[in-house]
Amino acid sequence: MSGRTYRDHELVDFAVVGSGAAGGVIARELSQAGLSVVLFEQGSRLGPADFEHDELKYWFQGGVTNDPERNPQTFRSDSTQKAMLQAVKPALWYGRTVGGGTMHYTANYWRFHEIDFIERSVLGEIPGTGFVDWPITYAEMEPYYTKVEWEIGVSGLAGASPFDPPRTRPYPMPPLPVKSSGVLFERGARKLGWHPFPAPMAINSQVHNGRPACMHCGFCHGFACEALAKASSLMTVIPQAEATGHCEVRSQSYVMRIDTDKRGRTTGVAYFDRNGQERFQKSRAVVVCANGAETPRLLLMSANEKFPQGLANSSGVVGKYLMFNYSSRALGVFEHELNEYKSVQVTRILHDFYDSDPKRGFYGGGGLDARIGPQPMVWALRTSTEGPAWGSAYKARLREFPRSMQVACHSTSLPVESNNVTLDPDLKDAWGMPAIRTTYRDHPDDLATARFLQDRGAEILEAAGAQRVTKAPVAEQRSSMHLLGTCRMGNDAATSVIDRYHRSHDIPNLFICDGSSFVTSGRGQPTMTIQALAFRAGEHIARFAKRGEI
Amino acid sequence: MNIDDLSRREFLRAAAESLGVAWLSLNWSQVTAAVHDANEGARAPATVGFNFLTAAQAADVEAIAAQIIPTDDTPGAREAGVVYFIDRALATFMSRLAVEFRAGLQDFQHACRARYPQTSGFSALPSAQQIEFLKGVEHTTFFGTAHMLTVFGMFAMPSYGGNRDGVGWKLIGFEDRHAFQPPFGYYDRDYPGFVIAPRGLAT
Repeated sequence: MSGRTYRDHELVDFAVVGSGAAGGVIARELSQAGLSVVLFEQGSRLGPADFEHDELKYWFQGGVTNDPERNPQTFRSDSTQKAMLQAVKPALWYGRTVGGGTMHYTANYWRFHEIDFIERSVLGEIPGTGFVDWPITYAEMEPYYTKVEWEIGVSGLAGASPFDPPRTRPYPMPPLPVKSSGVLFERGARKLGWHPFPAPMAINSQVHNGRPACMHCGFCHGFACEALAKASSLMTVIPQAEATGHCEVRSQSYVMRIDTDKRGRTTGVAYFDRNGQERFQKSRAVVVCANGAETPRLLLMSANEKFPQGLANSSGVVGKYLMFNYSSRALGVFEHELNEYKSVQVTRILHDFYDSDPKRGFYGGGGLDARIGPQPMVWALRTSTEGPAWGSAYKARLREFPRSMQVACHSTSLPVESNNVTLDPDLKDAWGMPAIRTTYRDHPDDLATARFLQDRGAEILEAAGAQRVTKAPVAEQRSSMHLLGTCRMGNDAATSVIDRYHRSHDIPNLFICDGSSFVTSGRGQPTMTIQALAFRAGEHIARFAKRGEI
Repeated sequence: MNIDDLSRREFLRAAAESLGVAWLSLNWSQVTAAVHDANEGARAPATVGFNFLTAAQAADVEAIAAQIIPTDDTPGAREAGVVYFIDRALATFMSRLAVEFRAGLQDFQHACRARYPQTSGFSALPSAQQIEFLKGVEHTTFFGTAHMLTVFGMFAMPSYGGNRDGVGWKLIGFEDRHAFQPPFGYYDRDYPGFVIAPRGLAT
């Protein structure tokens, strides 16, 4: 690959851990500012020829994600239970390849609204939770949301939703072509007086920044895009970082410890190379962008004499306040074919129920979208959990695939201290390091919100003329791809891990930026905000570095 | 070339030639090798013997799969060769499930013989009795695993040994093509275009 390489003993400015949504952006911002960067990635570097339409490989065998064989995890609902090994698929599912989660995401790119940053002030305290405001506002984030839309590439229609927050520029590309699910969703929602609009997606509707337009193959969610139309870090910011001549992408390099010196400052990162040999990269500062599960795990695994609770953890909240978001689903079967397996997942959404409404009697809000969900194999598995599971009745359901859609309802998760990521005391991964142990139980308000939105989704399907509408059970979640809140941002070092510039409160040359930085969960489409945070963090961290403040 | 007829191989070639993707151009030999391997896998002859299951076990597993996705006027799990997929999965890429699966299958067979002492095995029972017996065990871990593997074998890429001739995909109306163009379905054919509705007004 292009870009220069560094030796372990060479002192680089930054070791950036994790090459996904945040790490790719930060590596680009720092290297374009003239700073030297080694970008570490546990997984390997793949390319379009590797990206097959293989559901088994991508959903169950760690095609581009953490592999249940080599990266085992345990899960429990609360701390009274013994956490159990998740044999078929890990509880927390994330990208483990250069590009990280941007390789296999659906690419829904919703900005947060103004309310997301100040919800606690507006709604008041929610007892038993860590529900607080962000230390930054939408107004501070707006330039970076715009930057994501233009630099990463988002298709959409400005002004299409009356609930959209203010913006300074339109989208760089028009929306993608509407699908049958989008037409039906729009028809049903408008009959009910609601405001459906074209989904903003980080998928090219036309040539943009040298990448081609979508070919509508349908394999976005869970898959990497061989057409390069979906805006992964691998195909956008990472080549730009390498082109500066100051950034090396070091794949198959698994950072398992950050070391500190006597003054309590980081000195670099210890990692296993592709041969399993332990090595050490010296750096002036470290930026951890390893996602909401691996980031707290790395900080906890780095515990030493000076920091016995783990790095950046004097508050004790590293790993805590894990938030998954919820996606409840209403399913509709129509008379004619929709063929939802074709093209991008989502073409229409609505935000009429985005804000929490105290009149409902519980906290929460969300957005609704139209889609089928997964491709045939995973759809067939899911269908068996929502009706007849086998026999002739199941086979009849399978035949409904081309005529089916769902309204997916993406909603809030409250930050709860007892929902967290810790190190499993017994289980080790293939490198002998402690496995991730997840403890998670949805807050009752999160489940109430999921049911409320699901009812609205069912109403849309009915209004659109569905022959049959059903609701998937709203049960406690036992797995997620959204890994948020585990190193929360805040002004108070006693209750948060990083400050408003992503610098850890405890260690001046340790920065953290990814889903773990979130204070509240948003409405279920976190990557846009992760990348906006990363553009903002990259700008500030580069400024600190140039002023000698790292 | 009509975009609707693109195979994966043709897509990758078109991508390299016309889309100007630097990565593909630089790595073309690797790409063609990968595509070649994938095609070889898809053309591999049907498995004759079993690697993990005994013949008697395979007969029962096939019978279970055939009740999960039965054959009627269209092919089911039996015609898809699901049992060959399951055997190969347990022997190789899903071997972590193998020990538990074998133990579960033995329990299943013991329970079946206890319930129907005259039969030589589950696969020899009449269909109605198979269904009756499965209703009693459908919440066991073993049935759950068998169900999951059956669905995998029905819909995973044919190169894994099941979904023969794409019968799983045909069953559910999934076209295995590499690219599509709008309109995608019935309801988006005559869509007039998006019009912004004013807030608070139904249309």
